[in-house]
Amino acid sequence: MQSLPLTEPVLLIMLSLAGQPRHGYSILKDVEEMSDGRVLLSTGTLYGALRRLLDDGWIERFEERESSRGRQAYRLSARGRSSLRTEVSRMKHLTRLASLRVARKEM
Amino acid sequence: MLQLYKCLLWLYPTSHRREYGEEMTAVFYEARTETEKKGVVTRGLFWLREIRGLLRGALGEHVRSVAGSHSWMLFPTRRFTMHTEFRFPKATPVLMTLILAGTVLAIEKAQAISASLPHVNPPIGPIQPEHLTLMSPILLMFAVAYAVGLFGWAILFVLKRSGVHRLSGLQDSASRQ
Repeated sequence: MQSLPLTEPVLLIMLSLAGQPRHGYSILKDVEEMSDGRVLLSTGTLYGALRRLLDDGWIERFEERESSRGRQAYRLSARGRSSLRTEVSRMKHLTRLASLRVARKEM
Repeated sequence: MLQLYKCLLWLYPTSHRREYGEEMTAVFYEARTETEKKGVVTRGLFWLREIRGLLRGALGEHVRSVAGSHSWMLFPTRRFTMHTEFRFPKATPVLMTLILAGTVLAIEKAQAISASLPHVNPPIGPIQPEHLTLMSPILLMFAVAYAVGLFGWAILFVLKRSGVHRLSGLQDSASRQ
């Protein structure tokens, strides 16, 4: 069961799917790009996370129509989008709080 | 290389392999094709990352298949606060393996020396069963101690990686407010 706060790889996977549906390799590349090469997912880590997200109903799996190979793709579900919003607002609150505290310390 | 990857996929539970095995292999193939254009170090790191990911993933899936949806109870990474003093170096398992191997070798060497010593009269006959049975509990004890240590280290390592120890400060500040 996924619970908040999300781990960084899971958060990046969900952010990757928030923009558009993607297949496995596209998620790997997007996560790498979003994190400036800091988070490099292996296929084992990626599919472990995708399976957990699928089980929790946070993402959906479907067959890509454009692909000649019938490749599986993933998209964020309404439930997943709602959880992502909750997580992002939690992080916003944290960063706002951190900025205030750090600024106060520096004054 | 692709064959090795497919072999490692057999470490996963059958259900997971049937569902995602083909897809994982296809993604791995694409990633490997791109990595082949890069240097030896990048390729080496790519392989290490893949093997580590597969081993951890397979372990996680097996735990999940045994414990079902309550598998988080076995590794409740978000339920404990880990203190910074509980940090273990990554070399701990290697050191533990070396110590275990050294102990086993020492026991075997001692046995060999004992066997090579000339026996005074009367010559000792076949070793009595009680002498033999003494060795296996010792080895078993070391193996159990090693397994317990390794398991404890794995739990602490997972907790540390999850970053929950950083939340302790956060919770304290929240409670003060």
